[in-house]
Amino acid sequence: MNPRGFQDGRKTSRDGDLAKARGLEMFAADRYGAGMLWAGVRRAGVAHAAIEGVDTSRALAAPGVVAALTHADIKGSNRQGVIQRDQPVLADDRVRHRGDAVALVVAETRQALAAALELISLQLSELPAVFDPDQALAKGAPIIHPGHAGGNLLLGGRVETGRGEAVLAECAAMVEAEYRLPWQEHAYLETEAGWAIQEDDGRLIIVSSTQTPFRDRQEVAEALGLDPARLRMIAPPTGGAFGGKDGVSVQSLLALAALACPGRPIKMWWSREESFLASPKRHRARLRYRLGADSQGRFQALAAEIVYDTGPYDHLGGAVLTLGLEHAGGPYRIPNALIEARAVYTNNPVSGAFRGFGVPQVAAAMEMTVDLLAAKLGRDPLDLRRLNAVRRGDIIAPGVTLTGSTEIGQCLDRLEAHDLWRGRRAWKEAAGPFQRRGVGVAAVMHAVGYGPMVPDVGNAKIELGADGVFSLFCGVVEMGQGNSATYGLLAERVLGQEPGSVRLIQPDTDRCLPSGSASASRTTFTFGNAVLGAATLLRERLLARAADALLGVAPAEMALLPGRVRHLPTGKELPLDLLARLMTPEQRVAVHRHRAPASTQRPSADPVLQMHGLPHEVFSFGAVLAAVEIDELTGRLRVERLITAVDCGGLIDPLLAERQVEGAVVQGLGYGLYEEFLAREGRVLSPDLATYIIPTALDAPEMETVFVPGHEESGPLGLKGVGEVGIDGPLPALANALRDAVGDCPRRFPLTPERVLEALAGAGERGGRP
Amino acid sequence: MRINFVLNGEPRRVECDPDRRVVDLLREELGLTGVKEACGAGECGACTVLVDGQARLSCLMLAAQLEGRELTTIEGLAAAGQTLDPLPASFVETGAVQCGFCTPGMVLSARALLERAPAPSRREIRQGLSGNLCRCTGYQKIIDAVELAAARGRGDEPWPR
Amino acid sequence: MAKVILPADMGQLWEAMEAHPEARLYAGGTDLLVRLRAQAGPPPALVCLERLEELRIIEERGGELFLGAGATHAQILEHPKVRGRLPVLARALASLGSPQVRNMGTLGGNLVTASPAGDSLPPLYVLGAEVQLISRKAGRRLPITEFIKGPGRVDLNPGEVVAGVCLPKSEGWTLQHFEKVGRRDALAIALVSLAALLRLSSEGVVEEARLAWGSVGPTVMRAPQAEAALKGRPLGLASLGEAAELAGQALTPIDDLRASASYRRRVAGNLLLRLAEREA
Repeated sequence: MNPRGFQDGRKTSRDGDLAKARGLEMFAADRYGAGMLWAGVRRAGVAHAAIEGVDTSRALAAPGVVAALTHADIKGSNRQGVIQRDQPVLADDRVRHRGDAVALVVAETRQALAAALELISLQLSELPAVFDPDQALAKGAPIIHPGHAGGNLLLGGRVETGRGEAVLAECAAMVEAEYRLPWQEHAYLETEAGWAIQEDDGRLIIVSSTQTPFRDRQEVAEALGLDPARLRMIAPPTGGAFGGKDGVSVQSLLALAALACPGRPIKMWWSREESFLASPKRHRARLRYRLGADSQGRFQALAAEIVYDTGPYDHLGGAVLTLGLEHAGGPYRIPNALIEARAVYTNNPVSGAFRGFGVPQVAAAMEMTVDLLAAKLGRDPLDLRRLNAVRRGDIIAPGVTLTGSTEIGQCLDRLEAHDLWRGRRAWKEAAGPFQRRGVGVAAVMHAVGYGPMVPDVGNAKIELGADGVFSLFCGVVEMGQGNSATYGLLAERVLGQEPGSVRLIQPDTDRCLPSGSASASRTTFTFGNAVLGAATLLRERLLARAADALLGVAPAEMALLPGRVRHLPTGKELPLDLLARLMTPEQRVAVHRHRAPASTQRPSADPVLQMHGLPHEVFSFGAVLAAVEIDELTGRLRVERLITAVDCGGLIDPLLAERQVEGAVVQGLGYGLYEEFLAREGRVLSPDLATYIIPTALDAPEMETVFVPGHEESGPLGLKGVGEVGIDGPLPALANALRDAVGDCPRRFPLTPERVLEALAGAGERGGRP
Repeated sequence: MRINFVLNGEPRRVECDPDRRVVDLLREELGLTGVKEACGAGECGACTVLVDGQARLSCLMLAAQLEGRELTTIEGLAAAGQTLDPLPASFVETGAVQCGFCTPGMVLSARALLERAPAPSRREIRQGLSGNLCRCTGYQKIIDAVELAAARGRGDEPWPR
Repeated sequence: MAKVILPADMGQLWEAMEAHPEARLYAGGTDLLVRLRAQAGPPPALVCLERLEELRIIEERGGELFLGAGATHAQILEHPKVRGRLPVLARALASLGSPQVRNMGTLGGNLVTASPAGDSLPPLYVLGAEVQLISRKAGRRLPITEFIKGPGRVDLNPGEVVAGVCLPKSEGWTLQHFEKVGRRDALAIALVSLAALLRLSSEGVVEEARLAWGSVGPTVMRAPQAEAALKGRPLGLASLGEAAELAGQALTPIDDLRASASYRRRVAGNLLLRLAEREA
């Protein structure tokens, strides 16, 4: 069970964070050992090319090199991906972006590996490339996947409700604007890493930093032509993921290397630069919005046109588009809408899943447009939002009726009552010399789970060990959210055990059960319910067995207590280790499958949109209040305060929920103010953490998080997901605060000092740098 | 080359190439994988170690530079101070640990800060940790943790059980 | 494998440099080791200067303040003679990199790297720093403006090292100012920075002004026209505005990924206006 020293993760829920704080947690990158080989790939270095040849002979002859492999060594489909399997493990006929892996080398040392990779010779015949989504859709554009029916259009989606955009012409007030959002890099601290070994029986064990071990197994098996049963995927806690590890990175490459080098452990760990080049980003987007209201300020119509640059592969680009489409009109009643979204293939770096999943882009556009409309109507922006905010039963722009808990109104009430909002005028007037101050608001919603078609399922397994200790086999990955601690807590509550006493087994395809990805704000929502089910089942079984053991008393007279079962009328007790020994191993294991509720609404007849997740049943809500100070001399924007009000239903552990919100807020703040992943002709111009700027401790503001009371019937203990809702609001709240401070706001992001200074000068978009 | 230094309170003599990066020596040869690497270029602080009590980046130090130095990694934090350091537990209590990959470096930067300033303001804590990037927490709970550990270090707050 | 030599005294340093004339010298490693990481091919021999106590001295010498090239930024920043008397330098060093980088990087490294964005450099320019160079046989001393010849280019002969900088005795500056504009508040490269020294009469009239900007030209830039425009006039928005205009004309910033030339030019001038708030 414990292949070659792999650390088992037998830690109770309380120990996880402490192990990390003491440096004892073993991440996927932390395995070393005698005889370990290093694997690495040679990347294409050109954006679009036909591959005429790959010569590995010089690399293979270099000292310390064990294997040098190309697509010719792959026996399967050589294609991976979540929906369209369109990304090669090792490029075969062509290169579609600079980061494409073309050859894989395995060597005795890192130095030998680095030297050998330089010796691979690529014969590439460059093809015309396309880097702009509009150009990619133009006639005559170079086609990136000649076999794809839509040409360079990965997916287009269109939803029209009511009388559509025609109503805009009838509105008392209408505003329009176009926005551009940059790529955002996840910049998790732990770059892609893992290790693998082919055991004597031929099985491949692959330990990697991933959000999706079960799906990886299927993808790797298909791509390499292997029986999935031959693969064992193990997913230790990730050193950050945020969607960027929702899919295969090192896994197939490690498996291929292990096939070539049986019996030797092989490690792969991408450098920061390699991670930035080859990992997916948040989609760059261009959004054109028109929003109209009647003279009372009631939203009447929305027209939104959204273009996502998805890069050369479908790393969930279609699903990102669909979620964007569903959230395009925000948490408001809008009876007439035309929403069109396109995800377009280009030869840029790959875009894909990133916390927020298409929503931060549309939330930015919608919430800035709402402020434009408020200004045009002469209305207070918070008041205008309250007027239009949805309540349960209302219908949002894409025609989805909200049937679950819907507390955006409470979120906005809490912000309106906040001293920052009430005292904003005096605070703004107190600005010092050369300073201007502003306060901005944004309101957002965020879907929980996969949507109607892809089964959103968790399979929890709990075992009472022979030692009397419970083990919980997690089906979804721990990414730092503390979700596994929450599962432990749920199990402990149902099983009547002390907090922190349940052992947590991190995902391992041999021992745990498939439960989907650690994504989509779903882990606790879906897997938590599965845990409650499994724990309940096991409790009943234990009580019944204990009742039998105590000679026929009624199970109802028994109580499951920490470490023991007690017969309440007599006080007789049975320790759990003894009870365990009275049971067969099968009896001591309980499994429960939970499928999250799927919406039966069909706002669009398009089956492709349904398959990609339209619509959802459950939504979390949030509202952000941001106070900024702008320096007139430099354009420096400083966030003075930031308050987030969140409706995520019931709270199991307020601290865990709060830290999710704070972390998401600062990622959202980075998206708004600092982070600009740059590529020109597909070449990364921000290749590292010196050039790709994320917030430091000095840049993050003091934050306040307010949870409004709520209860979602379908969630475990009434909760909804809280992993993503915090990232959608900061950018528009900051932009609206900037507009409040200086009277204008750029429509390109991030809000660099230069762009802010231009806004101050009234230049706005004109004269802005590209 | 033979290098003599004190590692986590223990005198050590290691045989290694002089140009081996300290982060590699610690992780690959000495098994101290609590020292993380996340950029290799001095931009993230994940590889922070204490050298003669000062926070330094082990990705920008070569093994030869260790000669005669006292090096403390996260694994040796308690040993170096003779008593249990209040920082790790404070990080856990305030919710300052998420993915945990930045945490060892963050804890060591906090230790170096508290040695110089036993009662830092929140602003000073932010300054002291400004060389350690964290992508999960938004930093606030980390600042809380260092405040709490500082109070415990001064005896102003009780230690956890 | 590369040789790494840690000379313990100057004699060993000269021997090492003579034995390995191709060797690269470093102290903190925060510039050189980052650059070497990106380089393919075998690494050069390295001479690490961190053990040379002679280079780490900070002391007064005949009315001057000597800052050893091997002194770390943190060491200089915390030195009472810098903290108390040279806030323009202390502020600049406090904005440099991060705590770890300040614990490792040295003044000499910042000088020899000679980046126009080097945070310690604008204060050294306005303070009239002279660079002390030594070799086995001789020493020479030259103004920082002559030592730094361009981005990454310095007047350093084979066999020579930077011993430190000499700062002339403080000339009774009424106001010492440093401001750096970066993309964030730590681990930031200056988009523009300004170091300013002003001597004012008791009536608030500028008797002398020295201004130096970072990241707006191939080296740290002075603007004598702007300094002249302030001289003899009361310090206020009127005089500063005029100086800002002249400064904008004198500076030669470039576009890069971090900011455009026009932004840098505008902000370089704007930063002068901040001095109005800081009226002594």
